[in-house]
Amino acid sequence: MFLQQLVTGISVGGIYALLATGYSLIYSLLDFSNWAHGEFAMVGAYVAIVFSTFVNIPFLPAALLGIAGGALISYGCEKVTYRRIRRNGAPNMFLMIAAMGLSNMFQQAANLIFSGQYRSYPFKLPVSTIKIGTAYIGVLDIISLVITAVVIVILVYLINKTQFGLNVRAISCNAYAAKVLGVKVDKSIAQVFLLAGGLAGVAGILYGMKYNVFPTMGNVGLKAFIASVIGGLGSVPGAIVGAIILGILETLVSGYISSSLRDLFSFTLLIVLLLVKPSGLFGVDVQDKA
Amino acid sequence: MSTLLNVQNITAAYGGIQALRGVSLQVEEGEIVAVLGANGAGKSTLLKCISSVMKTTGGSVEFMGKPVSKKPYEVVEAGLVQVPEARQIFTKLTVYENLRIGSNFRKDTAAIKEDIERVYSIFPRLKEREKQYGGLLSGGEQQMLAIGRGLMARPKLLMFDEPSLGLAPVIVQQVFDVIKEINKEGISVMLIEQNAQKALGICNHAYIMQTGKVVAHGKGKDLLADESMVSAYLG
Repeated sequence: MFLQQLVTGISVGGIYALLATGYSLIYSLLDFSNWAHGEFAMVGAYVAIVFSTFVNIPFLPAALLGIAGGALISYGCEKVTYRRIRRNGAPNMFLMIAAMGLSNMFQQAANLIFSGQYRSYPFKLPVSTIKIGTAYIGVLDIISLVITAVVIVILVYLINKTQFGLNVRAISCNAYAAKVLGVKVDKSIAQVFLLAGGLAGVAGILYGMKYNVFPTMGNVGLKAFIASVIGGLGSVPGAIVGAIILGILETLVSGYISSSLRDLFSFTLLIVLLLVKPSGLFGVDVQDKA
Repeated sequence: MSTLLNVQNITAAYGGIQALRGVSLQVEEGEIVAVLGANGAGKSTLLKCISSVMKTTGGSVEFMGKPVSKKPYEVVEAGLVQVPEARQIFTKLTVYENLRIGSNFRKDTAAIKEDIERVYSIFPRLKEREKQYGGLLSGGEQQMLAIGRGLMARPKLLMFDEPSLGLAPVIVQQVFDVIKEINKEGISVMLIEQNAQKALGICNHAYIMQTGKVVAHGKGKDLLADESMVSAYLG
């Protein structure tokens, strides 16, 4: 029973991690909470629905198009909204408020286009389980876990081993110096939005496979925020660790107490953390957490 | 000798406050040119305008006969590189990574490796501290890292903004020695300084600024010999 819960927890945590890492990357570059991040996942999930059920192409290419959809909507938000706000020299608070507006806008748009109904992907889900010892572990959880792990390994490689990642880390450390030294700051930021949106797309599709696809599913982005706070806002390793911890804790609360307490637990944890340890596990400075 | 940098009558302002009121200066190839003046004379603003980090309100800046790009990264790629004020080290990147940011736009991997070795041979301390975070270095080491990072861009003109600021006298001497050394290797230098004595000692030409204008210019040693000039503007 416990092993089962643990695997499910890590698997759910992995989905949170896909969102939390992208969210953290954007936060580390621009110092604002991208509240529309969950909606990038929702858009990715719907794009995959459109291609797999309406256009009727096989699921795998549909999912890849969904990931591209998440990446493009994220890139579009940066290009059309956030970048312009930055150029105006507006305070960071404006970025966050714009993000809230975008989040709401995307939810409403999804509601209009697809109606509020719950949708699922048109293939036989491997709902079967594998028996390991006395535990039954869902195949879907394992698939989700493997995909997440691969994506995160690629992400960590990109950030730590490539010039792209180095440029991003330099900007997050000292954007002025990066600019003076010839780093193409706007280009790096745009690339991060593409990457973060793609990760959100993966998360949205995995989440949709596990639960369903619906207009307000992007609220799962709030869990990414909690995960980032646990790990320390702006820290990518922190986001991964925080997400896994949150996923496990939530699953344990659902499994051993009651699933209706899950979200209550998570948000209470958020408030407690903000009061007790606002810098999180890996965070350094805590100034403006809006 | 040809003119590398030609600044003609540039003006700039912070909000309503005029910071540069028509500054002109030239840097010839192979020279060390010093720009001196007290705090608030507009020296750093001048440098920011030259590297297109800040917008000018008038005048022109030409580098190697062409107008300087408005995009800071194109300015750097053209070979006009600055070692910024207060060093601006990436505190959370390692020494090695700081150097790699200096060469961020270059694709010639083999040459980048050679250049890193060259920087390490000029500053052996950096080699020893290769894997440490920039933020853990002493002030002098950070200045050396900032210079090394600038060199990684393969500059034709390297512009130093107050490299001696906040450093112990021994270290200041080392920094000036390095600047001379770099210049000998063929890199032209523009040196913004408050430490007038030291700067005049190593430069070919110097410009003295006061409240956003060039008030005097001439050969370094002439200005140094001119007691009245030094005491009037440089203290």
